[in-house]
Amino acid sequence: MKFLGTLFTVCLILISGCSPKIDSSKVVTVWHWMTDREPAFKELAKRYEAKTGIKVNFELYAPSDAYSQKVRSAVQGANLPDIFGILGEKRDFSSFVKAGFVLDLTPYMLENNAKWKNSFFVKALAVNEFTDGNSYGVKTGIYGVPVDIMTIQMVYNKSLFKQLGLNPNHPPQTFDELLEIGRKISATNRGGPAKDYGGKAANLQGFVSGWSELWMIDCFASNYAFNIMGKDKIIATIKGQVPYTDPDWIKVLSIFRQMRESGILIEGLVTMINKTAEQLFANGKAVFAFNGSWCVNVYQRMNPELDYAAFLPPKTSDSYPMSIWGGAGSSFVVNARSKNKQEAVNFLKWLTELNQQAYLSRVTNNLPANRECLDKVPPILAQFSRAMDNATHPNAWGVSEFPIVIEAFDKGVQAIILREKTPEQVAFEVQKVKERELFKKRQ
Amino acid sequence: MSIYHKAKKTTINTLIHLFLLAVAITCIYPLLWMVASSFKTQETIFSDISIIPRHLHFENYYLAVSNSDFGRYFLNSTIYTVSVVFGIVVVSSMAAYAFSRLRFPGRNILFIIFIAAMMIPMPGGFVPLYVLLNKLHLRDTAFGYILAMISMGLATSIFILKTFFDKMPKELEDAARIDGCSKLGIWWHVAIPFAKPALAVVVVFNALNVWNEYVLALIIFDSKNLMPLQRALMMFRGEFLTNYPLLMAGLTITALPIIIVYIFMQKYIVKGVASSVLG
Repeated sequence: MKFLGTLFTVCLILISGCSPKIDSSKVVTVWHWMTDREPAFKELAKRYEAKTGIKVNFELYAPSDAYSQKVRSAVQGANLPDIFGILGEKRDFSSFVKAGFVLDLTPYMLENNAKWKNSFFVKALAVNEFTDGNSYGVKTGIYGVPVDIMTIQMVYNKSLFKQLGLNPNHPPQTFDELLEIGRKISATNRGGPAKDYGGKAANLQGFVSGWSELWMIDCFASNYAFNIMGKDKIIATIKGQVPYTDPDWIKVLSIFRQMRESGILIEGLVTMINKTAEQLFANGKAVFAFNGSWCVNVYQRMNPELDYAAFLPPKTSDSYPMSIWGGAGSSFVVNARSKNKQEAVNFLKWLTELNQQAYLSRVTNNLPANRECLDKVPPILAQFSRAMDNATHPNAWGVSEFPIVIEAFDKGVQAIILREKTPEQVAFEVQKVKERELFKKRQ
Repeated sequence: MSIYHKAKKTTINTLIHLFLLAVAITCIYPLLWMVASSFKTQETIFSDISIIPRHLHFENYYLAVSNSDFGRYFLNSTIYTVSVVFGIVVVSSMAAYAFSRLRFPGRNILFIIFIAAMMIPMPGGFVPLYVLLNKLHLRDTAFGYILAMISMGLATSIFILKTFFDKMPKELEDAARIDGCSKLGIWWHVAIPFAKPALAVVVVFNALNVWNEYVLALIIFDSKNLMPLQRALMMFRGEFLTNYPLLMAGLTITALPIIIVYIFMQKYIVKGVASSVLG
């Protein structure tokens, strides 16, 4: 007890020396959660101070869920910093705007013939924008600034393509070509002819992804739904005007059966987490992966020598273009109650200029939000970024499917891959769930 | 004893030992993996699954300490842990003694309120605590954080100590009173020495809790230089990729003080848990 008492006294003396630092009014404070980007942000802050004399403090609070709690608590005490990010759904974003904590950036975006606004990918800005008559009741405007973007596509290993006797610069353009490669991989694994394997079993995997995470299945399926039936029919299905038993939806579900039958899917795909899939692809064990653009960062750390490229999931139909999921990766907003609003906006303008965006992209391996700097970033990042023209996201559709229907659909896909159900059975079951939910809603 | 009974006893003992061995391995293996991984590289951490790595990368420890302001965070966590544990031991032992031995109006209701506080999950209290500390101008101060952590550790500690004090022989108190001890004197000279095993449990449980706490610190502190050790570890966890060798090296260093505290107090802990919690 005496020992504890002495220690306590020492601690009291030490605590008295720990006082919070006092920020001057011309310091712009930024709260963020992006551990990987912290050194790059700090470097940019230094450059900005050298250029303008205004100090920018990037304060990292990770992981992201703890960061979100901090932001929510800070709202209660009105202690939000000058610039911060809002994580979560658009509903959360709208509640911050409606409570008056987020500055409307529209006037700044539209200055000089909308120069700032036009520097971004249109779809990156959409996540931060509330349009006329939005269902959240937020005044029309742009409330956030994207600092990077994200797309989810397919990637292929160029070295393995060469070993399989395929052209490493020609990824499959059609779904049939993809299946054909799947058959070739299966044949190679059975000891069939393939360069560099000398007829021996290669134990190569075709396609890997984290399909134990249902949203990834949903993402892949919706890509093909857009390609097979187009956006209008998908929206009509969500609204309950088209049933999931429609032949086009059966075609979407059949994609997974065809993939399974071709032998392209790795065994255990539906119980695989994405981290494992990333490890397999990075170590050259799999020819294809379905992954988000964050994978560039991950593969770089796991295997810097990996030779790969990104491509859109190969289309199965010429009726409609292929659409992938994408949009703003991370965004910042300006605190509407900050004393340094103008300084904060000026800093964000500078941060999203061509040179700073190119630097951020090169150093952090994230896709730039500024569409003008694609020729200044590594080719793999440019490949992922260019697909923004094909990007869509459920948050931007204006209507949402019932979560339980999405779950039934994605679990149905897993059952098809596991040979437990046929596409027709799954379609029937999903439609039953949909009808039940619609009935409940009408009550 | 017949051969049959001897064989039966040996078989049962063997099975029990095998089971306990399996449990012990499952407990120790994560620790061994942590230490082994702290000597590997990012590439070999998943490819070389052996517990004894082929090449030992001692530099991971240097990098873990030098890359993340480790020393400052380590000192902060030490200060917070000692202060909070001291505060909890003093306040909870006094409160538990009062609940157990003194008769005053509302005693049972107050005790029930304290016990009810144990049922509230920690994150549930974060926002009210934040608002309270903000109003008291104690947010973003070490003192505010220590007070908040003391408050969070009190309920369980009072419960453990009260159960222990309830079993203290009344004769001990009477003897102390005859010798001229006041209520405070009885608490100090009789109750505290009597409750050493329970106090050991309180010290270890709370030390572990404070040492590993991060979320409340993240919410209360804006200043990086006040953050606890867990922040240094978080720096090794990227958004999409974790630097496992440095994280494991950091975790190994972080686990050491708690393991030392446990080793020093283990003789009291088993006794304390058995008598306080199991009744």
